[in-house]
Amino acid sequence: MNFTINLPLQMECTLFFQENPYMFETLDGIALRLGRKREDIDPVVKQLVSNSLLEKIGDGDQAIYRYIQPDTSSGLV
Amino acid sequence: MNSCTASGIEGLDFVISGGFPTGSTVLVEGLPGTGKTILGMQFLYHGAVDHNEPGIFITFEEFPDQLYAELLAFGWDLKALERANMLRVICISPEILIEQMEQPNGLFENIVNEIGCKRIVIDSVSLFQFASNDLKESRNTLYKLRNILRKLKLTSLLIQESNSSEQSEVPFVNYLVDGVVRLSLKTHLNEYRKRTLEVLKMRGCKITEGEHIYRINEQGIHLVPALSMIEDKTAMQLQSFGSTGIAKLDELLTGGIPKGSCFMLDTNSKANYRYIIASVIVTRLLKGDHVALLLSSLVDLYDLKYLCQLFGLDLDDYVKSGHVIFIEHYERQRPPGYESSTIHAGNMTNQEFKNTINEKLGYASSHRNESGDEWFLYYDLNTIVSQRGKEFVIKYFAEEVSKISSAGMSMLALSNFTEIGYETASFLERTSHGVIKTWVDGSYQYLQVLKSPQGNMSSPFLVENIMTKPFIRLV
Repeated sequence: MNFTINLPLQMECTLFFQENPYMFETLDGIALRLGRKREDIDPVVKQLVSNSLLEKIGDGDQAIYRYIQPDTSSGLV
Repeated sequence: MNSCTASGIEGLDFVISGGFPTGSTVLVEGLPGTGKTILGMQFLYHGAVDHNEPGIFITFEEFPDQLYAELLAFGWDLKALERANMLRVICISPEILIEQMEQPNGLFENIVNEIGCKRIVIDSVSLFQFASNDLKESRNTLYKLRNILRKLKLTSLLIQESNSSEQSEVPFVNYLVDGVVRLSLKTHLNEYRKRTLEVLKMRGCKITEGEHIYRINEQGIHLVPALSMIEDKTAMQLQSFGSTGIAKLDELLTGGIPKGSCFMLDTNSKANYRYIIASVIVTRLLKGDHVALLLSSLVDLYDLKYLCQLFGLDLDDYVKSGHVIFIEHYERQRPPGYESSTIHAGNMTNQEFKNTINEKLGYASSHRNESGDEWFLYYDLNTIVSQRGKEFVIKYFAEEVSKISSAGMSMLALSNFTEIGYETASFLERTSHGVIKTWVDGSYQYLQVLKSPQGNMSSPFLVENIMTKPFIRLV
């Protein structure tokens, strides 16, 4: 995980998706639900996508983000 | 939509004859705090656990983690159901949901297919209406939503928030859906609040009309259907019913007047009760029962003979065979041959009256035991009140009910509760096993079962005149 980008907000966002694993939201939607600004959330969400914690579906403002559930079947977790 | 999908609430399934029609879209509307979300989740939880039917709960505003925690209080482990692929609690915005529903092989279809979804709850569709200022656009969105749910054959509950208890106009969505269930909170006994559920619409389903009280307890929503009382097992032990001759009334009483029970017919001055009485008496005589009739001032033996004739029964035959006894308080003309079957009670003191009836009914009781014949009694209580006074009726009626019950006979007593006064009426109502009320209000006559040993009550039925016997029909 890249720790260079707003770590507390990364944790907040990760926890939010972990606790609500079937959340499907746009960037604006995530910002609204977390009570944060879009410009602060944007780089954090991009980071979580590159870390394979979130999946991005679609493009542009209407792109949706969803949580990728960890694979617990391999027995490694 | 022939099959039913159980709602997860036993009382509600009773009210809608088994459950929501499978594949239907049902609106659940109510003010905040009425338990709409609980009802929705109860529907999904029991669908998954009891019927192996996976479900989806879509929430637009509440976060799933809050729902997981809150609904655990009812013992519903939603996370465990999600792990078992029996449930998905999806948090999404209304616009994205519609967008994804429209897309072939979009997120929505994928999730439905992934878990083999059969049930869905959307909490709440009010947001579709708020999302757009354009009425046409929000109507189209809801119409599309309903069509997609129908296409996927999902039994769907759409939760709708009400803003006030009295809606001035019916929302558009109410016309679109197959059913509407309304949850309300009302003042009860001045200091309390009661929660009521009413099914306003349910296409393809016979519903029990009325407002049904429900409670939210540790297992979720528990609904007690209205017009249900506790069965009187003491009056039902003989498990034998005497038909009233009126099909709908028999249906309401699950067969008719139970053997060993006493029913009261409370009528107001305008109501026509003669066909009801005649139907009951004729049906008993045709069945082969013995009947004792205490006549009123308004119906003499000629009237009775004529009424029986209308019902296709020649009363003369039953007089001759000794199947019928008349108790007469008035000096009136009677048809030839009826004298030997008539007890003249007009000049009797109260004690003499009691003794005579005791003797006759004692005869009836022992006669019944010897021959296996059944006895049915019809009393005009207003006549006894006017001839012998209220005090006598109160004491006498309680004794009669007791004797009749223990002898396994049955009785129908006619009375006008308004005429005899509140106190006496309350006593008679309490003493009787069953109470049927008929009254005229405006241009219509109504009939309602208020009490029965079967535990059944009914809503008021319209009494319609028909040309063939029994000459009335309950609608």
